[in-house]
Amino acid sequence: MDILNQLQRQYTDFTALLYREGFVDDNFTQVQKLQDESSPDFVVEVVSLFFEDCEKLVNNMAEALEQQDVDFKQVDSHVHQLKGSSSSMGAARIKNVCIAFKTFCEAQNREGCLRCLQQVNHENTQLKTNLQALFTLERQIVANGGSIPVMQ
Amino acid sequence: MLGMWKSNAPDEFVCIKFDMEISEGSSLSDVASSTTNSSGRRQNSAEVKEGQSFSMCKRLVQMMQGNIWISLSPLGFAQGMTLVLRFQIHPSYGRAVFSPGTSSEQPNSNPQFRGLHVILADDDHVNRMVTKKLLEKLGCEVTAVSSGSECLSALSSAENSFILVVLDLQMPEMDGFEVATRIRKFRSRNWPLIVAVTASAEDNVWERCLRMGMNGVIRKPVLLQGMADELQRVLQRAREQF
Repeated sequence: MDILNQLQRQYTDFTALLYREGFVDDNFTQVQKLQDESSPDFVVEVVSLFFEDCEKLVNNMAEALEQQDVDFKQVDSHVHQLKGSSSSMGAARIKNVCIAFKTFCEAQNREGCLRCLQQVNHENTQLKTNLQALFTLERQIVANGGSIPVMQ
Repeated sequence: MLGMWKSNAPDEFVCIKFDMEISEGSSLSDVASSTTNSSGRRQNSAEVKEGQSFSMCKRLVQMMQGNIWISLSPLGFAQGMTLVLRFQIHPSYGRAVFSPGTSSEQPNSNPQFRGLHVILADDDHVNRMVTKKLLEKLGCEVTAVSSGSECLSALSSAENSFILVVLDLQMPEMDGFEVATRIRKFRSRNWPLIVAVTASAEDNVWERCLRMGMNGVIRKPVLLQGMADELQRVLQRAREQF
């Protein structure tokens, strides 16, 4: 079962990295813990839902920021929503960008907002890639007859 | 004597029959009294005069789709009273609220949450999904809605009997404060229990929530232990008050 051990080791290391680098936090652990026999795909479902919502919100923010007369309250409400859902899901980096984003909205700073929006996009892409890699490892472990190591 | 049987009616009902004995000098004798005319003739049961309070009871019982009647001794005196009431069978969430809560290490093994009917109102997809799952993990039966108005219509629907409302304060069209105000105004001062969920770190949020008639507050992001602790506290207070 050498390959299984390797995969499990990879999984543990990769997970540790994601936490260390602040891509995910304790809320993500909670989401993982909520998965059980009655909802075996819970994590994947929540994550997919999050990225769907994130993309919609990002588009809305971009549109609002393109206007001649930017409605910062609108932008702020989108950011607020993204902050809430990224927080629930444990997408720590995205949540942190949202915190900075909110201050720029309050200051009605268009440049600052646009920079934050760019950062949100960047973090979004990175997190997607990372989580896809994580889920792939999980599938491979299960396919090799093993169980997914639990994070403490 | 108490007898219980399932009627032929659809499965959702059960009939309970109470048989009571009226003994000499008992307080039930003034409920129904038989009349004797001066000649002491045996009276026919149709001429038993019913006390006013008894006919009131009879009226109430019949409105409840039950029945009540006096049984007579051979001499025409009231010797017993039978009461039949029909009850609709509901899931036993009521027991879950009032059974003694035992604190345990793991929140998800707490019996007092089992079967608890909860309505969750949160406009955000991800939050709704995670919080719903969290509450289900604790044993609750959750109905999730995405707005304040959906929450209010779910509460006013006769079939639904919710013990607890978990309410996101920052919803766009109707915020949690307004929902809570309406619930307290049009439903009841005490029921259902309302727990607010807020991202706000302001100190006076708690006060404001209490003034609106809410029973508890949880800070976002919601964690399992935090939810379990606050729900336990809220249920404990409710038990003490009722």
